[in-house]
Amino acid sequence: MRRLTLMTLVAALVLALPTMALAKADLVVATDAPPKSMNPHAYSSDANLSYMSNFFDGLLQRKAPEGKLAPALATKWKRLDDVTWKFELRKGVKFHNGNKFTAADVKFTFERMKDPKYSKLLNIANSIQSIKAPNDYMVIFKTVKPVPWFAETMHMNFIVDMESSKGRDDGDYNTRPIGTGAYQLVEWVKGSYVRMKANPDYWEGAPKYKTVDIRPITEEATRFAALAGRQVDIVNGVPVTLFERVKQMGHVEIIARPARRCIYMGMSNTAGTPFADLRVRQAIAHAINEEEIIAKIMRGQATLAHQVPDVPTVGYDASIQRLPYDPAKAKQLLAAAGYANGFDITVAGPNDRYVNDEKICEAVAKYLAKVGLQVKLDVKPKSIFFDELTDYKHQFYLIGWFDGSFDFGRSTEKLLHTPNKDMGMGTYNGGKFSNGDLDGQIIASSSILDRAEREKALQAINRMSVKEVAWIPLHYQQDIFAVVKGKNVKFTPRSDRWIVAKEIR
Amino acid sequence: MATYITRRLLQGVVVLLLVSMVCFVMFRYTGDPVLMLAGKYATQAEREQVRKAYGLDRPVYEQYLTFLKGLTRGDFGRSYVSQIDALDMILERFPATFELALTAISISFILGVGLGVVVAVRPKGAVSRMIMAGSLFGISIPTFLIGILLVMAFSVYLNLLPPFGRGDTVQIGFWRTGLLTLSGWKHILLPALTLSGYQLAVLLRLTRAGMRETLTEEYIKTAWAKGLSPAKVILKHALRNVLIPVVTIAGLSFGELIAFSIVTETIFQWPGMGNLLLTSIFETDQPIIVTYIMLAAFIILTINILVDLLYAVLNPRIRYD
Repeated sequence: MRRLTLMTLVAALVLALPTMALAKADLVVATDAPPKSMNPHAYSSDANLSYMSNFFDGLLQRKAPEGKLAPALATKWKRLDDVTWKFELRKGVKFHNGNKFTAADVKFTFERMKDPKYSKLLNIANSIQSIKAPNDYMVIFKTVKPVPWFAETMHMNFIVDMESSKGRDDGDYNTRPIGTGAYQLVEWVKGSYVRMKANPDYWEGAPKYKTVDIRPITEEATRFAALAGRQVDIVNGVPVTLFERVKQMGHVEIIARPARRCIYMGMSNTAGTPFADLRVRQAIAHAINEEEIIAKIMRGQATLAHQVPDVPTVGYDASIQRLPYDPAKAKQLLAAAGYANGFDITVAGPNDRYVNDEKICEAVAKYLAKVGLQVKLDVKPKSIFFDELTDYKHQFYLIGWFDGSFDFGRSTEKLLHTPNKDMGMGTYNGGKFSNGDLDGQIIASSSILDRAEREKALQAINRMSVKEVAWIPLHYQQDIFAVVKGKNVKFTPRSDRWIVAKEIR
Repeated sequence: MATYITRRLLQGVVVLLLVSMVCFVMFRYTGDPVLMLAGKYATQAEREQVRKAYGLDRPVYEQYLTFLKGLTRGDFGRSYVSQIDALDMILERFPATFELALTAISISFILGVGLGVVVAVRPKGAVSRMIMAGSLFGISIPTFLIGILLVMAFSVYLNLLPPFGRGDTVQIGFWRTGLLTLSGWKHILLPALTLSGYQLAVLLRLTRAGMRETLTEEYIKTAWAKGLSPAKVILKHALRNVLIPVVTIAGLSFGELIAFSIVTETIFQWPGMGNLLLTSIFETDQPIIVTYIMLAAFIILTINILVDLLYAVLNPRIRYD
């Protein structure tokens, strides 16, 4: 009996040897979120798209660091009129299984994206009226209504292979990606790592690193320990709280850059509430000491925000200035509005969504109490908070936002336009902020074809939103990356935080 | 005996049903999965579309009945997030958790009993006092703190052991094991130590109490008087009698370790079931949560029944009729 056990063990060890030889990848990247699925349309979060960008290509791609739109599976694209978009496709591209990439795959992909069973990218898929493929290498989309940012989302709508996807088991489809990407999946050990190998026939040339591991480490302290112990080459998401400690490590190079996401306080202006008065909204903005929040709570790891969109977004206006911290003026404005003795206000927000979200809410509550308001704090887990937010239960709340399309237009429809279920507007306008003039400008802006003119229109909307205090921008979070020195890894972080392994040299 | 077993099994089924019902109702109120599923750009109409596709628009009792119907076919539903069979997803991670729990319970058992004997034999010695004080720490420090302290000491400062993951693994049939590679052993040490902390202290105290009582018994005195070697008296005559309750507790806590190693798994990024549960809770992935909790209940129930039955085998005086 004992001998038998020993034999099994030896046999197992012999079997194990080839696996062990595979162990160490050329490049190991640690990141803060695991992939949820290998179906490229299963999830619209950057965390999941980041993994997908290695296995799949979109019609277009975005290049680090600013995210400029560049050709990928499409070589040329054009907006022919309000609702028509033409894409010319790249020739000679093959999927990992050897199938040829043609217009039929594009058509199949976007049709599949309309099915909620397979796709969470319904927003862009449902905006498509028809897809035509005049020949194998040209696709013409017609949208239901003008969607000016249509092409801007083409870096995240990944193209799947039609022949092999039809009739495939859902479980298999969700775990084994077949794309045209620079890397092929070797193994996905859930909760542990995603291992991939270079696609030697990649249309942009084979990538530098032959095997790459992406290891999701959700726990901050563990990510820190992995860096300290040189277990990884790159860390995406160095915890802000441990920033100083990481800086002291001699073997680590730190890259910090403003993140795209803006943290802001959303507001209501519903008639009959104190918020209806512009002076009250201004007073609240004057009462918040954002510089102190950045210094004390964010430990310097945040950039002051004057507006919600970030610099590369179409609609950003460098001339916008936030209302300065001025508690005396805040009190004055409150008194002028007839609220010298304050009023009841609730500061709502999530406590597990953004960096230090709960502490920021607490700070805002304290600042408001200082100018004489009767403040209540209402922070809760995101799964409950966002439910309430989209049910319009809060009048004053903290959320963060950035738009994957680098276009302020869609953000305004979701955040600023008066909620309207039939038009699909104002989904995240939690306080039901409503301004007819603003609504009109938002609708008008979506039919402007010329990009420069459109930018002007969006900037005007942006300026007005700050002037009317539809929201109080607080800060942009900081993205912090770390690269372990010694291996000469050249890594340029992307503004969307995707780890696109082919870009690492 | 047969009636006893049948009764216990029936009770088990009722408990499982109740657990599933409570889970089902409770997680209705912890957030709407549709919000997460539909993505942040979705309009209300698109949300409704998703709600329909997942059958979340029907009343809760109807959804529950569908779920029960699935259970009779061994179908626990599919994860909302990944669309993979919920039970498969959890069982795929079972080996990792099982190996972690097994290593942890072995550490607790060997060290706990060993140190317990040492302390009982020399209750007043300096070493014993230190061990007892240490065991107080083991009971009172929360797991996550022990884990982080161990990581800080062994991974960050000493750079001896890796802080996360499972290391190299070997696939044998459906079982993926980390216990056959050196890297696997290096990786399991810290999380297993962390997980074993509490049980170790409990087993140590239990052994010590039992030993001190047994050592005063007449038959032990007789054994000493006969001139037997200390090893024989302590290990063969005394310890054997003490071990029965110790083994029971170890067995019961083994079930708990498998079912609730959530915190340790999260700290060490251990690719086990607990880690999956936590991620799923964040994502309001209800099928996974419900299946996990039912599985945990099932494991604990099974081990309880087994321990009860073993009692009867070990001690023929116990009858369950």
